[in-house]
Amino acid sequence: MTTAPNAAPEGAAFERRASLVADLRFVLLAALALAAFPFVLHPIGGYAGLATQILITSIAAVAFNLLLGYAGMLSYGQAMFYGGGGYVAAILLLRAMPQHPNLWLAVLGATLVTAIMALLVGAVTVRLYGIYFALLTLAFAQMVFFIVEQAKDWTNGDDGLQSIPNALLPIGPWNVDLTVGLPPVDLGPFGNLGDIKLWYILAAIALIAVLLFTRLLIRSQFGEVLTAIRENEERSVMVGFSAPLYRLAAFGIAGALTGLAGALRACYDGTVAVESLSIERSGQFVVYTVVGGVQTLVSPVVGTALIMYLENVLSGKTPAWRLIEGIIFVAVIVFLPRGVLGTLLNQREKNPRSIFRRALRPRTEEPEPLLRPNVEGRRAGPLSIIETSKLGKLFGHFAANHDIDFQVDPAELRAVIGPNGAGKTTFFNLLAGTIAPTSGTINYKGRDVSRVSGTERVHLGIAKAFQTASLYPDQTVRQNCRLAALARVQGPFALQVLRRSTRLDDVDALAERAMDRLELAAVADVRAGDLSHGDKKRLDIAIALATQPQILLLDEPVAGMSKDEARKTEGLIRRLSTEMTVLVIEHDMEMVMGISDTITVLHQGTVLATGTPAEIRANATVQEAYLGGHTEEEFAGA
Amino acid sequence: MEAVIEALLNGLVQGLIYVAIAVGLTIIFGTLRLVNFAHGAFYAIGAYVGLVVAQHVGFVPGLIAAPLAVAVFAVLLDRLVLQYFYEKTPTAQILVTFGIALVVEETLRLIFGGTTQQFPTPAALQGAVSLGPIAYPAYRLVFAVGVLIMIGLVWLFLVRTNYGLVVRAGVRDRIMVQLLGGNIRQASTVVFALGAAVAGLVGAAASPIYSIDPSTGFLFLVPSFVVVVVGGLGSFWGAVLGGLLIGELQSLTTLVYAPAANVIIYICMALVLLFRPQGLLGESEVIRQS
Repeated sequence: MTTAPNAAPEGAAFERRASLVADLRFVLLAALALAAFPFVLHPIGGYAGLATQILITSIAAVAFNLLLGYAGMLSYGQAMFYGGGGYVAAILLLRAMPQHPNLWLAVLGATLVTAIMALLVGAVTVRLYGIYFALLTLAFAQMVFFIVEQAKDWTNGDDGLQSIPNALLPIGPWNVDLTVGLPPVDLGPFGNLGDIKLWYILAAIALIAVLLFTRLLIRSQFGEVLTAIRENEERSVMVGFSAPLYRLAAFGIAGALTGLAGALRACYDGTVAVESLSIERSGQFVVYTVVGGVQTLVSPVVGTALIMYLENVLSGKTPAWRLIEGIIFVAVIVFLPRGVLGTLLNQREKNPRSIFRRALRPRTEEPEPLLRPNVEGRRAGPLSIIETSKLGKLFGHFAANHDIDFQVDPAELRAVIGPNGAGKTTFFNLLAGTIAPTSGTINYKGRDVSRVSGTERVHLGIAKAFQTASLYPDQTVRQNCRLAALARVQGPFALQVLRRSTRLDDVDALAERAMDRLELAAVADVRAGDLSHGDKKRLDIAIALATQPQILLLDEPVAGMSKDEARKTEGLIRRLSTEMTVLVIEHDMEMVMGISDTITVLHQGTVLATGTPAEIRANATVQEAYLGGHTEEEFAGA
Repeated sequence: MEAVIEALLNGLVQGLIYVAIAVGLTIIFGTLRLVNFAHGAFYAIGAYVGLVVAQHVGFVPGLIAAPLAVAVFAVLLDRLVLQYFYEKTPTAQILVTFGIALVVEETLRLIFGGTTQQFPTPAALQGAVSLGPIAYPAYRLVFAVGVLIMIGLVWLFLVRTNYGLVVRAGVRDRIMVQLLGGNIRQASTVVFALGAAVAGLVGAAASPIYSIDPSTGFLFLVPSFVVVVVGGLGSFWGAVLGGLLIGELQSLTTLVYAPAANVIIYICMALVLLFRPQGLLGESEVIRQS
C-alpha cells in the first residue's frame, strides 16, 4: 500500500471531521437520554427534584472516574472538593454579593478555588500510590472538614449554611427564575411536564458539558499519556513522560469538576452542611463510580442514578436499603469488575472502533530519516559521550557499585559483561537515571547529569531497554512506539486536553521508523501483551529507539531468545550502532565477542578490565573472575 | 498535673486499642499483602457478640465468644471472597474490603439498631484505683494490662512458632517463602484469623470503656490505618509504637484544644508520609510493593 505524500493531511482532515460528527452524536444522544430521564424516573417512584440531584452529583462521579478509571488514582478525599465547592459558592452568594447574587460567579468562583485546592493537595499526594495515596487524600479531607467545622463565623459550624439564594440566573439582560417549571402538561403515568424546573435543564447542560469535556480529554494527547502511565509507569517515565505532573494535572481537573458539582448541588439545595465534606461522602463517590463501572465515560452517571434512586425509593420502604447498597457494591466488584454499564457495553465498545481508527490513518511506507546520524559526536574524537568517575551505589550496607571509572567513545558499541551479581544492571540504572548514585559523578557530553532524573535524561538522549521487556501490554505495537515518539515530540508534559496526538505528524513517522528498524512492521497492530518473547524484547528496544536516543542502553537484549532470533537481533543492534552509541549488557559471549568494539568487565561492583574482545579474551584476571582460575583452553572450550 | 496524668493514661488505653487493631492489620498485610479496610468490622462484630453474650451469659464468656466468633467470620470471609483478591491491586483490595465493611456495618445496624449501646462494667472491676495524685477507673487499668499481655502473646507467636516464622519471612519476600515450600496458604488463614480475633477480643473488652454503635468499626479503622502508616506497614513494633504515639497525641490534644483531637492524627500522618514515607519503623522495600 503506497500512498501519495499528500494523503496524510487529507486523512487528518477526514479524521477531524469524523470525530466532530461522533462528538455531536454523543451530545445529541446524551441530551435525548437526559430529556427522557425524569419521565422514566417518575413511574418507578422518583420525583423530579431527585433527577436534578442525580445529574448534579454524577458530575462528581464522572470526575472521580477520571481519577480512578483513567489515572488509576483511588482518592478517598473527594468530599473536600465537593463540600469545599459547596461552601465557597454559598459564602460567595451569602457574603460577597448578598444584594445581587450571581449564580454564575458563585459557581465559577467555587470551581476555581477547588481547582487551586486540588493542585495544592495534589502537589504533596501524587507521588504516593495505593493505600498511601488513599489515606493521605483522606487525611487532607479530614483537615478541611475540621477547618470548616471550626470556622463558625463563616460556615456556621455543624449547622451549615441555609437560605442560599438559588432562584435567579442572570442571562444577558434577563434574570431567569430557575425554580419555574415547564408548561404544565399531564403526561399520565410519566408525570407532569410542569414538574420539571429550569434547574433540571441547567443541571443537564452542565452534565453534558462535563461529559463532552471528559470525552475529549480522555481521547486527547493528555488522556493517552495518562492512561499509558496507569498501564506502565516505569516505561512511561523511561520514555520521557513526567508521571507526577500528569497525575497532578488529572487531580487538579478532577478536583475542579468535583467542586463544580458541589457548588451546583449547594445552590440547588439552597443549603450546605459539613456532611458534604465527610468521609462517608468521599466513600459515596467511590460506590457510585465502581457500581456504574470504571473506564467507561458515562457509567458513573448510571451508577449514581442507580444508587441514588435506590437510596431514595428504598429508604422509605425498608431500613435495610444501605445494606442492599453495600451488597450491590461488593457484588459488582466481585462479579462485574467492569461495573454495571461497563459489562453491558463491553462487547459493543471494542471492535468497531479500533477497526475504524486503523482504516482512517494512512501509513507512509517510506519514512523520512528522522533519526539523525550522530556524525558530529563521532568526529569529536577524544571526547567521550558519557563517562563516570568514582561512581558508586549503596543498597543499605551493600555496595552494588563502587569506584566505577568508565568512558565511552561516541562511535562505540560497548559491551558490559560480568558474572551474575557483578552490578551490571545497577550500573545501567545509574546511567539511565532510574536510581540515583550514592557517590561519584556521571558526565554526559561534558555535563554532570548525576542528579538529573531518568525522565529528563531521556530528553537529553539516553534511552534504555529493560532486562525484562517493559511494555504497554494492552496497546498495539504501533501505539507502544507512538507513545515513546510522542514523549520525544511533545516533551515531559503537555496539557493538551483537547487535541489528539494523531495531529502530530512526526509522532507517526518516528514510531514507524522505530518499528521498521526492529522489523516489527508485520506485527504493528498486534497487542503487545500477545507478542512472542523475542518480539517483546525487540519492541522494548523499538520503544527506546522511538525516543531518538544518542545513547541506547540495552540490558540483555537477546536473553531467552532462540539462537536464530538472537543472531537476527544481534544484526539489528549492529546496524543501530552505526547511528548511535550502544551500550549492551549480555551473557551471550558469541554475540559479545562478535559485535563489540570494546568490552568492560564488571566484577564485584567495579571495573575489572576494559579492552577489545581479543584483549579481554586473553586477560588472566578476567578468566579468574569468570572461571575461578581455570585455563584459557577450558574457557575457549566451554 | 492531675489532668495531664489522666490524659496520659487515657491516651495509653486509647492507643492500646489502636495497637491491637493495627497489629492485626499489619501482620495480615505482611503475610497476605492484603490491605484490609474490613478490619474495623472485626472490632465491631467482636463488640456486639461480646455484648449479647454478656447480657445473656456473662462478661467473661463474652470475652471468649467474641474472638472465636470473629475468627470464624474472618475465615469464611477469606475463603469466600478475599482469597480472590490477594494478587489484585491494592486499589481492588481497598474497594472490596471497604464494601464488606459497609455490609457488616449495615447488618449490625439492622440487627441491633442504630443507637449507641454501653457495655456494663463487670461488678468486680467497678470503682477506681488510687494512683498517687489521681484515682483512675480500675477496669481501664485491667484492660490496659490485658491488652499488653495479648500483644506480648502475639509477638511470641510471631517469633516462637513456625507460623510466625512464615509470617516474618513473608513480610520480607512472599514469593521466596512460597518457593521454599513454606505453606503460606495455611499460615495465611491462621494469621488472618488471629488478626481478626485480636480485633474482636479488644472490641468486646473495650466496650465498657467506649460505647458502641454500628459505625464503631469505621471509627476505629481509620485511625488504626493511620497508626499502621505512621509505624510502617508490615512492621509489628511500628504498629505498637504508632498506636501508642497516636493514642497519646489524641489524648493530649484533647486536653489542650479538644476540637483538634480528630485532625491531629491526620496532620501527624501527613508529616510522616512526607518525610519518612516508609513509616517510623518500616522498611523501604515494603512501600514499593504496595
